[in-house]
Amino acid sequence: MTPPLYIALRFLRHRRRSFILSLSGVVFGVAIFICTQAQTQGFAQNFIDSTLGSNGALLLRSRFQSATTGLLVPPKNVRNPNQPRRHSIDGITNASEIMRISRQFADVAACSAVLRGTVSARAGFDNATVDLFGIDAVSHLQTTNLAQQITSGDLDDFRNNPNAVIIGSRLAEAMQVVPGDAVQLLSPGGEYRRFTIAATARSGVGVVDSVRVYCHVRVAQTLLRKPFPASMIVYKLRDPERAPAVARAFEDLFQHDAQSWQDREEANLQLFVTVRVSAAITVSLIILLAGFGIFNVLTMSVLSKIKEIAILRSMGYRARDISAIFLWQGAMIAAAGSVIGCLAGAAFTWGVSKIPIQVRGLLYANHFLVTWDWHHYLWATVLAIVAVFIASYVPARRAAQLAPVATLRGSSA
Amino acid sequence: MLMNAEVSLSCEGIERFLGEDDSRVHALRGVSLQLERGTVHAVVGPSGCGKSTLLYILGLLDHADSGWVTIENEAVSHLVDDALARKRNELLGFIFQFHFLLEDFTAQENVMIPMRRLAVLSEEQMLERSAHLLDAVGLGSKLKRPSRHLSGGEQQRVAVARALANNPSVILADEPTGNLDSANSRRAFELLQRIVQEERKALLLVTHNPEIAEACDWIHEMQDGRIVESHSRGHRISVRAGA
Ligand SMILES: Nc1ncnc2c1ncn2[C@@H]1O[C@H](COP(=O)(O)OP(=O)(O)OP(=O)(O)O)[C@@H](O)[C@H]1O
Ligand SMILES: [Mg+2]
Repeated sequence: MTPPLYIALRFLRHRRRSFILSLSGVVFGVAIFICTQAQTQGFAQNFIDSTLGSNGALLLRSRFQSATTGLLVPPKNVRNPNQPRRHSIDGITNASEIMRISRQFADVAACSAVLRGTVSARAGFDNATVDLFGIDAVSHLQTTNLAQQITSGDLDDFRNNPNAVIIGSRLAEAMQVVPGDAVQLLSPGGEYRRFTIAATARSGVGVVDSVRVYCHVRVAQTLLRKPFPASMIVYKLRDPERAPAVARAFEDLFQHDAQSWQDREEANLQLFVTVRVSAAITVSLIILLAGFGIFNVLTMSVLSKIKEIAILRSMGYRARDISAIFLWQGAMIAAAGSVIGCLAGAAFTWGVSKIPIQVRGLLYANHFLVTWDWHHYLWATVLAIVAVFIASYVPARRAAQLAPVATLRGSSA
Repeated sequence: MLMNAEVSLSCEGIERFLGEDDSRVHALRGVSLQLERGTVHAVVGPSGCGKSTLLYILGLLDHADSGWVTIENEAVSHLVDDALARKRNELLGFIFQFHFLLEDFTAQENVMIPMRRLAVLSEEQMLERSAHLLDAVGLGSKLKRPSRHLSGGEQQRVAVARALANNPSVILADEPTGNLDSANSRRAFELLQRIVQEERKALLLVTHNPEIAEACDWIHEMQDGRIVESHSRGHRISVRAGA
C-alpha cells in the first residue's frame, strides 16, 4: 500500500458523513443510468424482436425491370438520391429458385414465400379490410415466430384444414370473433368465401395485429388471382444486424428490391433512439450533479486538511503524493459508488420490470420491459469514473500546490 | 566556507524578501550559519526578526532569494521540488510550536508517517522502531492513543519522536516548547539535547526561553534579518558576526 493510499483511507474514515454523501451521488447516478438504459432498450428490443418475429429481418419484393429492358438502369447498383428509384414490377416470378439459392447463404437461417393481398373480411355484422398473407405453413413457421404468437386456438387446426385462417389478435377483438367462428373473405372477383378461424396470433406490433390474416398459399392464389405465385420472400437471418448488407447483396444477385428491417422500421427505431438519448442526457445531468457534490466534498476536505498537508510536506511528502491522497479518495468514491451503483441499478431494473403498464399500439406489453445488458453496467462505471476523476482533479491539484510555508507561518504567528 | 565532515548544515549569505510590492519586507539580509554534528544551536531575537523565515529556508520548505544552503556538504539550493522533498524526508526532522500531529492518527502512526514515505523498513520494522522512539520520549504506554487525546506535553514529545523517525542528521525546531509549561519545556528540551549529543545530530532551535537558550552550545542573536551576535556557551565571548 502506497503512503498516499494509506493516508487517503485514514482521512476518509474520519470524514465518513461527507464520504457517504458523495458516494450516494455516484450510486444514484450509476443506478439510474443502468435502470433507464435497461428500460429504453427493453422497449426497443421488444419492438425489434416483434417486428423480426412477424415480418422477418429481410423482405425480397418486386422485381427490377432492368433485367428485361436493360437500357434505363446501369448494371452497377448506383443509388443517386436525386433520381427516382428504379422501376420495378410487382411480384416474384421464380420464387422457388430464388429461395433455393438464398438458402445457401450462411447468413440466411430460413425463408418463406408469401402471396399477399388486401381483401375485405366479414364476420357477422362486422366488416374490415385485412392484409391477407398466403403462406406455406412449414416454411413460414420456420421463418417467423408465428407459432409462439398464437394466443388462442390451435395451430394444427390451421395446418390440417385448407380453409382455415389465423387472424391477428386485435383484428379478432375488433370483429368480435374467436377460434372456431367463421369469417368471410371477399375476393376481388366479388364473391365471398367462407373460412374457419383456427387461431388468433399476437405479434406485439399493433399495425400487424390489427389487420393481418394468414391463410394457405393455394387458397390465396385462387382468392387473389395474382399473376405471380409470390409477392415477397421473408427472410430470417442468423444475425439480424447483417440485414442491410445481405439486402444489398440480394438486390445485386436477384435483381429484386430487398428491404432490411432497419430500413423498414427506420421511423420507429429513430423514435426509440431519441428516447434513449434523452434518457441518457437526463442521467448525465444527475452524474454531473454527483460530480459537483464530489468536487465540493473534496474541496472541503482539502481545506480542512491544510494543516496536515503542510506537515506531510515538511516530512518529505512530494506535491504529487499530496494530490495522490485526494485522487485516491476520489478513486475510492468512484469504485465503491460504481459497485454499489451497479447492484442498485440491477435491483431498480428488476423492480421496474415488475411495474404493470398497459401498452397497446406500437408494441404490446403488460409491464415495463427491460433488457439485461452488461454494456450498460460498463458504461455507467466508465461514466462514473470519468466524472469522479474530473471532479477530484481540481481539488487534488490545489492541495498539491499549497505552499507548506504559508500554512506554517500562519499558524505559528 | 570550508568543506568539513563535521558540518551537517550550513548556509551562506541568505537573503529573503517576503510579500508583494508595497508590503515587501526584507526578512533576511545575509545570514550565514554552520551547524556541526552533536551541537545544539539556539536562535533568539525579537518577534518578526526573521527566525522562522530562516528556519524554513534551512529546512528546504522555502527558497532563498540569494545565498546558498548545503546539507551534508551537498548544495541543495538548485534542486527541484521532488528532490527537496526527498532531502527533507531523509535528512531533516521538524518540530513546530503547535506540534502539528495528524489528529486522527495514533501516536505511533504519526511517528510512522515519515518512515512510510522513506519506504525502507517493513511494516513490522516501522512498528518496532516507532515504539522504540516513543518509548525513548516516555510514551511507551500510549502508542495506540489518538494524538488528539494526548496532553500538550505528550503531543510535543510525539513530535520529537516523529522528527527522529528517519534518523535525520539535522533537527530544526521552531519554538518547540513555546506553549508548554516550564517543567514540560525543560523536559522536552533535555530530551532533544540528549539525543542530539548521543546520536551526533545537529539541532537548531528557535526559542524565546532564555533558560533554554543558555543551555545550548551556541546562541545566535538575530535582529532585523541579520545575525548580530553569536556566542558559544563554553566561552561566553561575544563573536560579532559580519553585519
Ligand atoms: N508572507 C509574508 N508577507 C510579508 N511579510 C511577511 C510574510 N511572512 C512574514 N513576514 C514578515 O517577515 C518578517 C520575519 O517573519 P518571521 O516569521 O520569520 O519572524 P520571527 O522572527 O519568526 O517572529 P516570531 O518570533 O514572532 O515568530 C516579519 O516582519 C514578518 O512580518
Ligand atoms: Mg517565528
